[in-house]
Amino acid sequence: MERSFFAKNPSALWFLLGLSLFTIVVTILSEASGTALISTSFLKTLGKTLCLCLVAIAMDVVWGYCGILSLGHFAFFGIGGYAIGMWLMYARTAEIVVTSLENATLPPTPDEITNAIGGQIFGVVGSSDFPVIWAFSHSLTLQLLAVVLVPGLLALVFGWLAFRSRVTGVYLSILTQAMTLALSLYFFQNDTGLRGNNGLSGLQNIPGLEAQSQATVSLWLFWASAVALGAGYVLFAWIVSGKLGSVIRAIRDNEARVRFLGYHVEGYKLFVFTITAIVAGIAGALYYPQAGIINPAEIAPIASIYLAVWVAIGGRGRLYGAVIGAAVVSLMSSWFTGGGAPDINLGFYVINWTDWWLVLLGLTFVAVTLFFPKGIGGLFDLLQKRKGDAP
Amino acid sequence: MNTLLEVSGVSVSFDGFKAINNLSIQIGEPELHAVIGPNGAGKTTFMDILTGKTKPDEGRVIWGERSVSLLEMSESQIAQEGIGRKFQKPTVFEAQTVRENIAMALKNPRRPFDLLFKRRADDAEARVRAISDEIGLSDALDQTSGALSHGQKQWLEIGMLLAQDPRLLLVDEPAAGMSPAEREHTTDLLVRAAKTRAVVVVEHDMEFVRRLNCKVTVLHQGSVLAEGSLDHVTKNQDVVDVYLGR
Repeated sequence: MERSFFAKNPSALWFLLGLSLFTIVVTILSEASGTALISTSFLKTLGKTLCLCLVAIAMDVVWGYCGILSLGHFAFFGIGGYAIGMWLMYARTAEIVVTSLENATLPPTPDEITNAIGGQIFGVVGSSDFPVIWAFSHSLTLQLLAVVLVPGLLALVFGWLAFRSRVTGVYLSILTQAMTLALSLYFFQNDTGLRGNNGLSGLQNIPGLEAQSQATVSLWLFWASAVALGAGYVLFAWIVSGKLGSVIRAIRDNEARVRFLGYHVEGYKLFVFTITAIVAGIAGALYYPQAGIINPAEIAPIASIYLAVWVAIGGRGRLYGAVIGAAVVSLMSSWFTGGGAPDINLGFYVINWTDWWLVLLGLTFVAVTLFFPKGIGGLFDLLQKRKGDAP
Repeated sequence: MNTLLEVSGVSVSFDGFKAINNLSIQIGEPELHAVIGPNGAGKTTFMDILTGKTKPDEGRVIWGERSVSLLEMSESQIAQEGIGRKFQKPTVFEAQTVRENIAMALKNPRRPFDLLFKRRADDAEARVRAISDEIGLSDALDQTSGALSHGQKQWLEIGMLLAQDPRLLLVDEPAAGMSPAEREHTTDLLVRAAKTRAVVVVEHDMEFVRRLNCKVTVLHQGSVLAEGSLDHVTKNQDVVDVYLGR
């Protein structure tokens, strides 16, 4: 009686079809293909949006399915970005330094090269020594491992401590907020060795791909983001369907009862918390090369709260809801705050959307929570119901 | 009949109030055993202690052939040892179907990766069907359990208990809110279940206990007041005073 994965998860099939179609259309319209109907900067926005959708479905699994309102998942996203950013920055700077030293009268010693690279990267914080945490920055493989391992281990340790003590509900949310705040403050310090408030920059220049134009590189990153989103969607659809999904949703609805059924609830929460943190890290590692810069403000607590807002507006407890919420709200956000929306002149007052967007977003969030708890995704239920009612 | 569970000298107090006071009780296997008592006698706290929800201040709770102590175990470990509990208020997972509810309770490996990679018995579907037949819900397998009637939810929860295949079944007021026909069905289910395992029914409805026709323990103010057949304990002057004297 085993049905195939797509028979059990029709939304995954539709999602993959839609995502493929979207990718093809964007590719055709991109600058790299010659039509240039989509500018490279907008292509980057779309690619970044796909990464935000990926971290949003992770948030939906941990919150919408498992009932853990984590207000710290954007920290894992940022850590992923930092992990890849360290390699990007090191390797790119190394290339520049080596090229510029080629014309020197005396061939440079390895020490001189290292110092020159260090001076380039850490000059802004008044140093030229490599901090310990940059030990693996020369290796793409190791930094890619860090993208997965650092968020994963942090989530594992944090989750183990929190869930073991049976911290739940709003207390857990506060704890996760504290985690991301502490991390952000830590990254802000120059001593941490991540260039303090300057963050890591120039991440859009991918070492080894200098021969390619930004238009082409952006398209490749867009494709990578689309593939990651598709794979993440299928992974999570697989996890939340079947018996594991049944237990996860049961934990959300009545955790004590699940314990009396003999399930080790803490283990399940830890599993969900960690795997979603890892996916968030991967999403961040794809996002920041498209953004070009990452700094500690990115992992401030407000970012994780936005994440929860996207999922709430899109519709909790359904993966496509999270995708819709993240895509709609983040694109609208960049439209409103990027000066795309025309100001409204009321005569006595001018509504300037750069300032008023947050108010609009806040009001939308309150309205959705009060009147449409199922979010935008709930509209699909109405459609289905109407179809069912029709003769 | 072997002793399956031995509770001896257990006391627990909440903010100075002694909910359980030097309670000792033995449960055999198989056995049908009713625990009765007025409100506040400590019936629910007794169940909380057995299932690991409440840790007693003193006393011992010894389980099974290996005589392990249940007091050091977590709720889920105790459940895996074979103690199943049915709550007073039916607590099924209302957002999920009857089939999902039963499947979740089925005795199977219970770690996340076991579920993800489907390490489970091949006869899961057959077992779900057998249990749904027993509780009379085989036509409702794909229904959301939130849509069931109160009595059906009670049965579904009993079905989930049977699916766990526990050695000891703790049942808290199973007949509450049931029609006479439903009560009869419930009595049958419990009597049948008690043929192969230990079943402890907590109840304050004497009529229901009479139908079970089993050994009765009367609790009062956290300790055992009387023990024996229902006729025996109802003749006990202390019991008469506690139940009827006020």
